[in-house]
Amino acid sequence: MKIRTRLTLWYAAILIVSLAVIGAGTYQEISEQLRHDHSKRIWEHALDETSELVLYVGLPAILLGLAGGWWITRKTLAPVTALTEAVEQKHDRNLHERLPRSGNGDELDRLTEVFNDMTSRLDNSFQRIREFTLHASHELKTPLTVMRGELETALREDNLTEPQKELLLSQVDEIERLTKIVDGLTLLTRADTGQINLDFAPVRLDELVRENVADAKILGQPHGIQVSLPACEETVVSGDRDRLRQLLLNLTDNAIKYNHPHGTVTISLAHSNGLAEFKIENTGPGVSKELQPRVFERFFRGDASHSQAVEGCGLGLSIAQWIVLAHQGSIEFVSRPGALTTVTVKLAIAHDKKR
Amino acid sequence: MRVLVVEDEKKTASFIRKALQAEGFAVDVCHRGDEALTAACAVPFDGIVLDIMLPERDGLSVLRQLRERQNRTPVLLLSARGAVNERVEGLNAGADDYLPKPFVIAELVARVRALGRRGNESKSTLLRVANLTLDTVSHRAQRGEKFFDLTAREFRLLEFLMRSAGRICGRMSIIEKVWDYHFDPGTNLVDVYVKRLREKIDDGFEPKLLHTVRGAGYVLKE
Repeated sequence: MKIRTRLTLWYAAILIVSLAVIGAGTYQEISEQLRHDHSKRIWEHALDETSELVLYVGLPAILLGLAGGWWITRKTLAPVTALTEAVEQKHDRNLHERLPRSGNGDELDRLTEVFNDMTSRLDNSFQRIREFTLHASHELKTPLTVMRGELETALREDNLTEPQKELLLSQVDEIERLTKIVDGLTLLTRADTGQINLDFAPVRLDELVRENVADAKILGQPHGIQVSLPACEETVVSGDRDRLRQLLLNLTDNAIKYNHPHGTVTISLAHSNGLAEFKIENTGPGVSKELQPRVFERFFRGDASHSQAVEGCGLGLSIAQWIVLAHQGSIEFVSRPGALTTVTVKLAIAHDKKR
Repeated sequence: MRVLVVEDEKKTASFIRKALQAEGFAVDVCHRGDEALTAACAVPFDGIVLDIMLPERDGLSVLRQLRERQNRTPVLLLSARGAVNERVEGLNAGADDYLPKPFVIAELVARVRALGRRGNESKSTLLRVANLTLDTVSHRAQRGEKFFDLTAREFRLLEFLMRSAGRICGRMSIIEKVWDYHFDPGTNLVDVYVKRLREKIDDGFEPKLLHTVRGAGYVLKE
């Protein structure tokens, strides 16, 4: 029950009780007078009057009181409703925005102030984590550059034995892997801190999809994976061409990497409910239901049993999700282990047909 | 070819210098932005390798100053931040190329060499390496007596490798030139395409032309 309804009900009960008390008191007093007085007629008349008064004036007064009460509680609680709505809009991206205060110093104004202080402290710590990650990934690049460069310099020496050469090359491979992680992390942290500007323009999504499918077919070949494109409707979206290409490549690469050998990947682009719907299905082992909500998390690698076998940095889907959200779209991951794993991306269609 | 390397990190500067010298370049090194500006204005270099993060005066500001003074020396920017925006900003400021850190040395060397060739690149339409030929007009590829079909992407890959014949092509350069991606796509796309291309042009022929340089990239040579 809402506070407002509760208050009104209590208020109504109090009014009815007070009216009953007044009525009962008056009735008692008149009955007393009747017992001692002999001019009974006047008093009997007064008794009737009282009943009528209670009925015809008292009840409307109660109704009026109730309406007034309803109005007062609404007026008092309106700022609470407004505050709730404002708090509901809070998420980790807009913590820096402060809630508007009434400034009249009442309890709610104080609550708003306390809430604002709390979110600004939260915002500071979020900001510090992002800056830390960004600095850490920049700082890591200098030693990585030096390590890589010196290893390559060493590899150019002619008097290396084969085992020595192999050892150095394996270090180069590990540095390459570390570099991929650092690059992905830098990209995501820069996106978090709003340092990446997308270059929006009308883009023919169907052309990008076709180009992507051509690459996907070739990527799938070494593993005997069949890639098909049963539907590809002409679609123009407003987006950053490079980022959209990155998104498509990311998703198809995942669908191939996390597939069984000789599996299939089915890609489609269609219009549905006024949105462009890009769908990519694969026949891989999938992700169990409990883990599905976590697939977009950074460094999430699926079930531990087969995460070792697949090369990658564990940031691909996080990057894909960032790109989709930056385009005001939605991305969904549904997997039925043993059956199909489907990733669906929905983007708004731009109606400008010019390229 | 005389090159100026501007890099504050001493070890990085040192291996860049060694690598370029090993390839026959004359190399000058400085570690600060203001020194770089003075040096670049005093000596006519054929190319400058310029790090963005520098003490005193950052790389972008050095570059803008140079261009304001009508100094057209080709510049290759290096950056540890590696963002697309930064690449665009660098090219707008007048850089000729951009390489994010950490980079493959062979890639850096190839790009520095390309700086010197800028503008007088071979425009030849018939490319030849040993008995492999590629006609860039008719898109026909042939080795010995055998013709083969290439997809559009394979054609661009082969053209790029043939135009840089004898020099190592890093994965990063291939991704940029053949796919036009300015980010690391995190896939083995290049390796898979090179493997297919190798099956077409090298299988059944001797000598093999398309070689893998592990940890660096690929090279097409006899």
